[in-house]
Amino acid sequence: MRYLIRRLVLFVAALFGLSLLVFVALRILPGDVASVMAGTNATPERVAALRSQMGLDRPYPRQYADWLSGLMRGDMGVSAISGRSVASQIGLHASITMPLIVLSLIVALGVGIPLGCQAVLATHARVRGVLHALAIIGGAVPALWGGLLLIMLFGRGVGLMGVLPSQGFPDAGWRDPAAAIAALILPAVATGLVAGAAIMRYTRACLMSMEDSDAVAMAMACGMTRRQAMLGVGLRLSAAQLVSVAGLTFAQMVTGVMVVESLFNLPGLGAMLINDVGNRDLVAVQSELFLLAAFFLLLGVLVDMVHHVLDPRLGEQPEEV
Amino acid sequence: MEERPGTADRSSAERSGARERAGAERSGVQERSGNIGRPTGTKLRRHTGSPRPSRNGCFGRLPVRVRLGIILRSMWERPGGRFALVIMVLWLAVSVVSLAWTPYPLLFTDGDHAWASPTAAHPLGTDGVGADVLSWLMAGSRTDLAIAVLTVLVSAVIGLALTAAMVSNRRWLATSGVVVVDALIAIPTVLLALLFAVPFGASVAVIVAACGITYGLNMARIVRPTASLAARSAYVEAARASGVGMWRVFFRHIVPSTFPVLAVQLSMSAGTSILAEAGLTYLGVGVPSSVPSWGHSLTTSVRLISVYPLTVLWPGLVVTLVVTALYLLGDAIRDCADPLANPRLRQAAGGRALVRVGSLAGRGAGRVTDAMHDEEAES
Repeated sequence: MRYLIRRLVLFVAALFGLSLLVFVALRILPGDVASVMAGTNATPERVAALRSQMGLDRPYPRQYADWLSGLMRGDMGVSAISGRSVASQIGLHASITMPLIVLSLIVALGVGIPLGCQAVLATHARVRGVLHALAIIGGAVPALWGGLLLIMLFGRGVGLMGVLPSQGFPDAGWRDPAAAIAALILPAVATGLVAGAAIMRYTRACLMSMEDSDAVAMAMACGMTRRQAMLGVGLRLSAAQLVSVAGLTFAQMVTGVMVVESLFNLPGLGAMLINDVGNRDLVAVQSELFLLAAFFLLLGVLVDMVHHVLDPRLGEQPEEV
Repeated sequence: MEERPGTADRSSAERSGARERAGAERSGVQERSGNIGRPTGTKLRRHTGSPRPSRNGCFGRLPVRVRLGIILRSMWERPGGRFALVIMVLWLAVSVVSLAWTPYPLLFTDGDHAWASPTAAHPLGTDGVGADVLSWLMAGSRTDLAIAVLTVLVSAVIGLALTAAMVSNRRWLATSGVVVVDALIAIPTVLLALLFAVPFGASVAVIVAACGITYGLNMARIVRPTASLAARSAYVEAARASGVGMWRVFFRHIVPSTFPVLAVQLSMSAGTSILAEAGLTYLGVGVPSSVPSWGHSLTTSVRLISVYPLTVLWPGLVVTLVVTALYLLGDAIRDCADPLANPRLRQAAGGRALVRVGSLAGRGAGRVTDAMHDEEAES
């Protein structure tokens, strides 16, 4: 419990630090959305008018305070370019990216953990070797290239076995769930396989370190086969570490997800961010970046908590640094 | 206690097991071994700890050239290490050559032969504007080499600084180190890159900074259990007691004992930075479009994959090969450059081979044979 409180306090502090970082980073840029919006041959007066309209001429501490209080009320401002509220934009794009991430994670775990176990438990040394090699090579494939290869294999109209759509998201969105999911399968497999290779490596490493542990030896002495002992006892004991790794893999998967979104022409969060950064849409970018980063900080907290639940040994003794 | 111990590859658990065993022999402590990498009672740790020979230990007396020769030879004898070495040497050579010579000048375009298949004139074909794919890949190798090297440096500095803070015996420093790492650990590279790219524009520096920070944090978190174990060991206590300075203790006694984890983590940083370069460049926040890089080659080849699938093959293949080699390089360095893992280094240093049998006393019968296998594998 003490740990939980400490971790939450830490999370809030980190959010403040983060908001400051985002704010400062976005203020030192040369040129702002006002000059972009006004066009290249706008008079300085016009730019200044736009700036004051958007509140960009106020002193920085004031801007920061305004932004922060808006965030707390859930008001993230209005995009200067599209005129829509930033919150609704984020919601719209997240409805594509989040399912994609979840699907990728399912693929990653579904591939990574069983194969990782197999890479330790397979009877034939050759099978183990091949699986290990696969794990290393799979982790070395750029997501962009993996996605391309998948399109060339399975993309409708392009691929050798054109069975799945490879471009865009159905106009009907989630009202047509079958089409929506079909559009996400190839991208999810592309990112999921790459992340799965990483998870496979970690699963293998964790299980191998369990191989000569007392717990597994004990289970075998009680009559379990090696396989049973490793899967029943060894895997359970490494669960805490695996959750940590899966959480971090999830965070690092985001680069791949953004690339793959763009490759498959999905209007997700990545496309939104890149677009707004390109437009120097300050209000939108600062809220978007902050919100996404906050999401991952929260993820870190959750992972740490699950880790604590799964590994009761950590709670027994007072924190020792 | 560490909150998230040993997320490192198999390195930390496996190697520090061996390390601890060796430590038990040397200090005469007959403790059960193989417990590092998992949280255990602190009692055990106080007695064991990793025994890195310090100043005149088995490593210090060996001339650098001899040491390097042994390490390289050991690496060469492993299939993975050999593959890694060959690719690394090729990469380096191509990078250097590309500074002076590429088959075609980079800005040369052969408009009549855009999207050409491989021919004698263009061994890997040409891209959409008729530029030679091979030339661009060759030139790209130096950019990616620079990115990998710089990322390793930056992440090593950040990671070691954080580690130093976390294992320092000043409580506030240690706590704030842990706080920083825990709070920021899950930030994705791409968000940082976007954040930096807004004010500074797309550049190599943005990639290096974003990768360096995230991998440095990651490294600190993974190295920490091993490092704090070393920091609490008897030999560090002895060094501190005899008046050795803070930094000297850290670099001479603590860092070397984390070597196996460090080697793997840094090589992962190098490999992942190349993958990140490809992704970020594609997203427009990486290498600017005038600079050749593998990510750039991949990006330009993407546009017309349906018509010219062959062009996209090469850059992806190059990246996959090099990143695989980097991953394997870390494993090979860990196994070959660590005197506790590589018996040849110990023998060369004066026959101070560690006798392992002593540690068998406290082990279960089932594991005696394992240890014997270890011995055979090493001798």
